Amino acid sequence: MAKTLFEWDYSDYPGAKTYPHLFKPIQIGNLMVPNRIKYAATEDNLNGHDGFITDAGVEYMRQRAIGVVGGLCFMQGVYMDEKRQGQGYVGQAAAWDDKFIPGLKRIAEAIHEQKAVAGFQLMDCGRVGAVEVDYCHGPSAVPQRLRIFKPVEEMTNADVKTVVQQHVDAAKRGIEAGFDIMEISGIVGYLISNFISSYTNRRTDEYGGDIRGRMQAVVEIIQGVKEVCGPDIPLGIRLCSEELLDDVRGNTPEESMETYKIAEEAGADYISCTLGWQESIYPVISRDIPMGNWIHLAKRAKEHVNIPIQMAYRLFKPGLPNEKIGAGELDIWEICRSMIADPHMPKKVAEGKEEEIRHCVACNLCLARLFRDAPMTCYINPVCAHEWQEEFANPKPAEEEKEVMIVGAGPAGLECAYTAARRGHEVHVYDKRDGIGGTLNEAKKSPYGDDELWTCVEYQQTMCEQAGVTFHLGTEVTDDLIEEELPDTVVLATGPVYSKIEAPGGDGEKIVNLLDVMNGKVEVGETVVMYGNRKPGIGGALHLAKQGKKVTIVGKEKSAGFDVNPSFKWRYMIYMRQNGITVYNDCDIEEVTDEGVIAKAFDGVRWPIKCDTVVISDRGPNESLKKAVQSEGIELFVIGDALIPRNLSSAVHDGYRVGIRL
Amino acid sequence: MPVDTEKEISKMHKTLHSTQNEIGKTYYRWRQVAIEFAGEDTKPLDVALRAAEVFGKDIGKSLLPRMNWLKGEEGFLMILARSLAGLWNTEGGMAMVENGEKPGEIFIKCTRDPWPTWAKEYGAPMEEVALCRERMYQAILEDVGLFMNVPLKIELQKAISRGEGETVMKLYKTE
Repeated sequence: MAKTLFEWDYSDYPGAKTYPHLFKPIQIGNLMVPNRIKYAATEDNLNGHDGFITDAGVEYMRQRAIGVVGGLCFMQGVYMDEKRQGQGYVGQAAAWDDKFIPGLKRIAEAIHEQKAVAGFQLMDCGRVGAVEVDYCHGPSAVPQRLRIFKPVEEMTNADVKTVVQQHVDAAKRGIEAGFDIMEISGIVGYLISNFISSYTNRRTDEYGGDIRGRMQAVVEIIQGVKEVCGPDIPLGIRLCSEELLDDVRGNTPEESMETYKIAEEAGADYISCTLGWQESIYPVISRDIPMGNWIHLAKRAKEHVNIPIQMAYRLFKPGLPNEKIGAGELDIWEICRSMIADPHMPKKVAEGKEEEIRHCVACNLCLARLFRDAPMTCYINPVCAHEWQEEFANPKPAEEEKEVMIVGAGPAGLECAYTAARRGHEVHVYDKRDGIGGTLNEAKKSPYGDDELWTCVEYQQTMCEQAGVTFHLGTEVTDDLIEEELPDTVVLATGPVYSKIEAPGGDGEKIVNLLDVMNGKVEVGETVVMYGNRKPGIGGALHLAKQGKKVTIVGKEKSAGFDVNPSFKWRYMIYMRQNGITVYNDCDIEEVTDEGVIAKAFDGVRWPIKCDTVVISDRGPNESLKKAVQSEGIELFVIGDALIPRNLSSAVHDGYRVGIRL
Repeated sequence: MPVDTEKEISKMHKTLHSTQNEIGKTYYRWRQVAIEFAGEDTKPLDVALRAAEVFGKDIGKSLLPRMNWLKGEEGFLMILARSLAGLWNTEGGMAMVENGEKPGEIFIKCTRDPWPTWAKEYGAPMEEVALCRERMYQAILEDVGLFMNVPLKIELQKAISRGEGETVMKLYKTE
């Protein structure tokens, strides 16, 4: 008889009727899990640099535990060696000594308080580890492809046995701390995957050779950990179903499937199906990869083993995992970034409140931050990693109710509007457009998945409706209107002002505005110069290139897309090359001529670029209405692109931060 | 103001050559300092070879992200050979690659090399130039070979004389 930790009855949850397969119980080992939802272990850099758990880490996990509505909730992987070679993140939790148990216990308790199943993950980061020391360790000293990672020290045979023991000891600590399910991380370039891959394991002892030899350390770890887990605590492992390392002679997909069989034979109770390495040259989870792109790998995994298969990777919405679980092609829906963006996402699914979900936009800012030793943050969720700060996460009602006029119904204005309205203010949002969303209406038309950005506006719209925000769409705010309404506070979220070309010919007929181009309001010739090399210019250039136009970007920034986070920027660089877009950075337009433009580099070198049309995407702050507001003595805030043109994230974060201050 | 294309290109060309020239001269100025610090008991050639090794090691690391096995061993060797030739060209040389007669054998041929001229200007022996080039490329191959798990070698076959003629290096996979 399988053990049940917490009783859950989903019969009153509307979402359980819409997605019945997500809310069916499943037996993993001897543990009965009430549903098919799992918050997958994710580093957050919120713990102390000494490996101890912090309040921030506990509250972060508590919110995710609420979200899984009784399902699996895994804390981040812990490193297990005192030498810290296995530590891959500055704020990674540790479990190399009993002194860490009290902190770990706090996490397990926080998860249990929400009647969720507490998962503990063992994660030696291998060749991407040693974040605080000079050398990382691995099966072989294969040079690092990326300079950000430390040189690899080849482990001796004795070192391998020590690492096996460290996994066993750390597992004991996890059990003592009260965790219910154990997991070994063997993905993306961490130590276990280093042993498994032909790219990084060149050993000739019993831990190298063919795939069985390369799995030997993993088998010993599984068997050792399994022994301390006993019959009641299931043990799973995360393994690559495809490494995507064929360019550096990594494992074949067949070898990867062999690892699944070996893990099952060794005693694993489930496998979490992953793909790709940090060193892979292929994109896996960015927005340009269609949702559900990798789900076939779960089906293939199930054809090779008889234990439950779990999977995440671009499964942001419940429909597909529900369908695949129903079809027997997947067992558990893993969620990671979607619950960074909205910790309660699956709970909202269960409650039939999908319109209240703040969807992840797959920008990978969260990962970019972690790799740069910064605490977790989310592009789209301003509260992420601030869960422990009550005044930030759950701001108090306003002491004085104000009449707030928000000018601009873009993401900054909408975020501010519902945040302020929830706190008791009377909020009126004005926009000269007939609809909401501001310039995101145009930005979402860029190719490679930018339509997903619109989910932000949809969420904000629902929140505004619930909070009682009043909209005045199709209404342009003027000095007179401000004088007439005389609100207590004005928030200017008017969006940016598009730059002018301050050069001869800069007001000519061939010059058009990016918004008009994206809306199809103006004719664009076959050859185009896009003026501005930030994200809007890149998005616009790709949009036009997809229509067959020959596009050249001319921009003042030293590198194109400097406002795009590095985890996504590399994708744009590739797409621009693929679409034949030429980019001239660190230069300006000196003159617009009949034939095109004359570009001038920072060092004075000039050259002509032929074009039929020049599109302006460069933007500046919007100073309009400021004087009118200030002259009336009204409290004033300027947010989003109106303050400084940046990106969607800055708009949302600005809006929230001002919303909780009003 | 219309662009005078000839003027713009010649300006860039001049800047490029000045930059290349300055890189070479900077190396020999640095070499002089290193020899002084190394003391009389150390041979200048040893200092130069050690420097070539350090440079090569670092350049090798920067080549790793570009290495690719998707086109198999021959494709990989060609990418590598082109990278080595490209390095020479960046410094002001005229290098190109040619397939050898045997599979897995590529020749890098340089028909113009500014380094012997700089060496002469700073009183360094000409043979040092060729030996350092060989040592630097060998150091580059250390990490690249280990990374791709392919034993690689590069050998100097013929050295350019006073900047004229042809320097030939053979890149190949060892058994």
